[in-house]
Amino acid sequence: MALKFQIITPERVVFSDEIDQVTMNTQDGEITVLPHHIPLVSVLKPGELICKKNSEEYPLAVTGGFVEVRPDSSVIILADTAEKAEEIDIARAEEARERALKTMREERKLDSAEYAALQATLDRALIRLKVGNKYRKLKPEIK
Amino acid sequence: MEMISAVKMRRAVANVLATRSYANLAWQMLTDVAKKTNINLHPLLAKRPIKKAAVALIISNRGLAGGFNSRMLVETDALIKKLKSQGAEVEVLINGKRGKKIYQQFGHTIAAEFEKMDMTMKVEEVLPLSNMIVSDYTAEKYDEIYLGYTDFVSAIKQIPTIKKLLPLSTAADAALGAVGEAPAKETVSASAEFLFEPDPANVLNVLLPRLVEVQIYQAVLESDASEHSARMMAMRNASDAAEDMIKELNYNFNKARQSAITQEISEIVGGAAAL
Repeated sequence: MALKFQIITPERVVFSDEIDQVTMNTQDGEITVLPHHIPLVSVLKPGELICKKNSEEYPLAVTGGFVEVRPDSSVIILADTAEKAEEIDIARAEEARERALKTMREERKLDSAEYAALQATLDRALIRLKVGNKYRKLKPEIK
Repeated sequence: MEMISAVKMRRAVANVLATRSYANLAWQMLTDVAKKTNINLHPLLAKRPIKKAAVALIISNRGLAGGFNSRMLVETDALIKKLKSQGAEVEVLINGKRGKKIYQQFGHTIAAEFEKMDMTMKVEEVLPLSNMIVSDYTAEKYDEIYLGYTDFVSAIKQIPTIKKLLPLSTAADAALGAVGEAPAKETVSASAEFLFEPDPANVLNVLLPRLVEVQIYQAVLESDASEHSARMMAMRNASDAAEDMIKELNYNFNKARQSAITQEISEIVGGAAAL
């Protein structure tokens, strides 16, 4: 029996399919959901999300959100933003990372809220870079 | 102008439809959580006696959209008057330049004004408004927060709508923009074992502000779609009216020209006859 998997952001449905397993980063650590998982609600951290179907992997970069596993083996992910690895614009992610780092170094008078927001931006850029680069490295081998 | 609005309208409508599934699923998740824990203790769900209320008014940046803005303003004015008659203070949070009229025409207090894009694409664009609403409500500055937007029904029908945003109600009919959609179905029986990570309260702390955000985002998208279709209709009416006017003016001109010629000829003929 397969998992009914759906990942949705406020802007669009990113990915929706039947898959074998999914691995993601929650606030309490990395979890992998297989069919017949116990019903679960959890909060996601920015991180990599990997769906596996017939031994093929589909990596996605997710920047926070929620996951709900329902008793009927359906997994619903409400993500703040989510991108498939092949959609990630590495140059833009790199730029965002540089910008965030620069602001952190230069502006010393950031209050804690601003700093946290900046840190979140940085985390998001890093995770997109990580997933994007990994996918790019894998790609030549597939060909 | 009609063509431009038509293109923008199509895009706005696509945005609205894309976001509806997220909102529906988020509501469903909340209902699931609600069955497992007493969610009424959360500050965003707490009901308080109304001393001060706020209306978040979502309106357009520009005119030339027929009755789009004025209908929304009238609707908002009616709500504010009703709340005031119950002894509550009311302030307005504007999203969209035309909202200033609520002060200029109706004399209601404006608490904040937010910039709005002509075409909202990303959730981040409504974050300033939703953050302010959530923090002001938690800080008990306002006891009730309403959301005024124009609901998009079809290209020729848009309804100015006022909806209570906070305190959040978990009733199924509260799902915004759920026009003609089935209510959230029961997916979890109360007895089923359910795991929360880290714990229900924490999940709620993240989920509820997110729901507020998504509702505002959706309201803005609905308003966008309504605005552009209202403008499209207004522009079509304007083109039609201009065409009619051109026809009539042309007719009048030809009539005047004809009579001038006739007169001249009859004068010449008269003059010739006199000789």
